[in-house]
Amino acid sequence: MRNTLAKKITNFAENNPNVFLISGDAGFGVLDDFRDRFSTRFLNLGIAEQNTISFASGLGLIGFRVFVYNIIPFLLYRCFEQVRNDICYQKIPVTLLGIGSGTTYAPAGMTHYSVEDVALARTLPNLTIFSPADPIEAGQCAEFALKSENPVYIRIAKTGEPAIHSHSSIDIQKPLCIREGSHTAVLFHGSISQEVLQATTATSPAPRVFSIPMLQPLNFDSLHAQLNGIQTIVTVEEHFVEGGLGSIISDWITRENLSYRLQKVGIKNEFIHAIKNNQGMRQHYGLSSGQIRRAIKNAFDLT
Amino acid sequence: MTLQSDPELKSLNLNLLEEQAKQTRRLIIEVAHRSKSAHVGSSLSCVDILITLYFHQMHIVESDWQNRDIFITSKAHAAMALYATLTLKGVISPEQFFSYNQNDGALPSHLDRFTSKGIETSTGALGHGFNIGLGIAHGLKLQDSQRQVYSLIGDGETMEGSIWEGAMFAPKLKLDNFTAFMDYNKLQGYGSSTELCQFEPIVEKWEAFGWEVLRINGHNFSELISALQAPHCGRPKIIIADTIKGKGVSFMENEMKWHYFLVSDQIKDQALAELT
Repeated sequence: MRNTLAKKITNFAENNPNVFLISGDAGFGVLDDFRDRFSTRFLNLGIAEQNTISFASGLGLIGFRVFVYNIIPFLLYRCFEQVRNDICYQKIPVTLLGIGSGTTYAPAGMTHYSVEDVALARTLPNLTIFSPADPIEAGQCAEFALKSENPVYIRIAKTGEPAIHSHSSIDIQKPLCIREGSHTAVLFHGSISQEVLQATTATSPAPRVFSIPMLQPLNFDSLHAQLNGIQTIVTVEEHFVEGGLGSIISDWITRENLSYRLQKVGIKNEFIHAIKNNQGMRQHYGLSSGQIRRAIKNAFDLT
Repeated sequence: MTLQSDPELKSLNLNLLEEQAKQTRRLIIEVAHRSKSAHVGSSLSCVDILITLYFHQMHIVESDWQNRDIFITSKAHAAMALYATLTLKGVISPEQFFSYNQNDGALPSHLDRFTSKGIETSTGALGHGFNIGLGIAHGLKLQDSQRQVYSLIGDGETMEGSIWEGAMFAPKLKLDNFTAFMDYNKLQGYGSSTELCQFEPIVEKWEAFGWEVLRINGHNFSELISALQAPHCGRPKIIIADTIKGKGVSFMENEMKWHYFLVSDQIKDQALAELT
């Protein structure tokens, strides 16, 4: 998906002289085309995360449409106060492109994982949060970001995610039903899509499966309407169980006094010391397709 | 190159600047009293810098607002000094300023750009505004604009790592439309910068980072004006201004407590008596 994003933004820059791309010393082999073709609107601001975000804010204040690209911890955590005070508090439409969602970079170590980024980003009230599942969704997220009046955070894994949509005319501002089903609905976001699709392929009864690219603000009206007939919701994400999509849905159910049963599948809220690659991490934390299938079955059996 | 300011303002009338500075200090004392606000010492130490910028140096006219020079109060707790200067300049109304830092007032204690014209960016936490200013400066150069960017930082604020992140990039980006002032009043929240860390030699530090550096008496208008006129030589500039916390009110000068203390009725009268 990062190549999709890079291509989209390069296209934007062709037609829009205000588009500006900042890299935090990342993007080797990904941002080369943009950098070479639009050198005056590209800056590698190196390994100085706080300056990078404030700098982006300044550019945004005088009319540039800024995209900042980095791996998630160095985009959101290191410089959180800058994201909070300089961009979000001031409602400057900067787009943060975060790479390496979840445990994409495992076994690099937890400093390079982002399993709590959605939880953190949610505390910024006007930040639009996207977690696209495939290149089609990612492309639409970029289109949205180009026109957004609010700051945007787009969280992706890396590369190689296959398309889960058959056509590109999807509305990423709504939960997207990618498989019909009954009784149980499975809600997921991002690159865990493959595990979820494998998990739900042979499940009976077939659950209704949704990709939720826009996590904040989440279109609850659309979700509620599309959950017609559903009794049980299972959320699945490569993110802490507490704080991500699962918590968004849990809060919604409580807030609106709804009667869905909810099962949250995600990474246990603990510091990750396990040494595993991304697939291994998914297995370790119950996010392999087989484990997701069992979780869905358990949730169904409980009702 | 700075855009030509209104010719009236360009004339070297130091007496006028002194008078404007005094009026600004009076306003600060009045409002600090009215609102029971802290940061009096911090605000008083940078008045002369602000007066020089707003009444001598910067191109800020209502009729050409979109081409105005940009001032950023990175040292945001000196907000009263900015607001007082903006009041004197007519950018904000006295009513707005008099409601500073009060319940249901128009202006918070630090700076929120949505609350008033004349506030270029919202600041409050230190080590942000300076860097936002660098981004603005870079963007202005891309736009082939003549507009200049000025930013005020505190000496304590210079401990923030983000300041040095920005300092390392600005010369490479040739931000010669950017000028920082460091309000070197040598007192911060609970100590003095030179006691807390290896602060000095501060001029050499900025020179080593590749900046054009000048050091002046931050209360001397001739020196302030000369420093602003000194060429950038293709580099960002920082003017280290030696100042006195609480400058203008004898019993407040160089006293750390005037970072915090409130202006009582009696203090107000005593202070205003000195500022005539």
